[in-house]
Amino acid sequence: MKKTLVIIAIIFSLLATSCVQKTYKKTVVFTLDVSEIKNVKKVGIRGNDKPLSWDYDTEMKAIKKDSLYQITLTGETGYKFTEVKFVVNDTFELQNEDNRRVDFSEKDTTFYNAKFNKR
Amino acid sequence: MTLLTKITKPILLPHWSQDLFLSIPRIVCGYLLAFNFGAAKFGMPWSPVDANLGFFEVAFWFPNDVASYGGIFAIAPAFFAWMGAFAEAVGGLFLLFGLQTRITSFLIICTMLVAIFMQQIQNGLWNCLAAMGFLWVAMFYLIIGSGRFGVDYLLTKK
Repeated sequence: MKKTLVIIAIIFSLLATSCVQKTYKKTVVFTLDVSEIKNVKKVGIRGNDKPLSWDYDTEMKAIKKDSLYQITLTGETGYKFTEVKFVVNDTFELQNEDNRRVDFSEKDTTFYNAKFNKR
Repeated sequence: MTLLTKITKPILLPHWSQDLFLSIPRIVCGYLLAFNFGAAKFGMPWSPVDANLGFFEVAFWFPNDVASYGGIFAIAPAFFAWMGAFAEAVGGLFLLFGLQTRITSFLIICTMLVAIFMQQIQNGLWNCLAAMGFLWVAMFYLIIGSGRFGVDYLLTKK
């Protein structure tokens, strides 16, 4: 009986103290300059963290046709950064290179400006 | 002999060199679990800085994964995620040193069975190989204990 109580107490204390990494809602405004690309038909972004994926594009909207594209994404994460790559006309930038690392701002919103295929 | 001593005392092989040889998979698997697989999802002093994990914290994404297994895992995902990550990170360290090898092996077996049948099996047999490797090693040490080259042997020598 005593042993059972000890086991229950251990399991309960484990349950009670189970600690999970804290998450934060982070918003990133990605702005991409594609002015050096001719005949831009489609601009997208792929990345590590939801709502992005490496399997499909999330489309960016033109704020200046054929020149500047933008998307605002919000996600819940425990990390202090995320990784992305941009895609224009179904072609990945920075092929065979590391992903872009986007460090989150201490504030809620991070502004990330980039030029396609340039660091 | 108390139950804990029985659980701790390893089975010794006829010659020390055989124990030395069989300590290799224990040390390698313990190291990989503690410093690689486990440390990535459970906060240890040597966890990668980018993981942003506090001490003994389980990674935020892991309970979500565990909840998706359904059944009992969906009822207490944080608990099962914490236990699984603990078994890998801290259990791996214990396995490395041969400390409470049988208890640790049991925890690792449970974790690997969940990893194989609830997480990886739908991705094909190939994806199960890592978890299966740790499972076989832990099953083996559940029976023989740490051998001569572990802390358990020193603790139960007399």
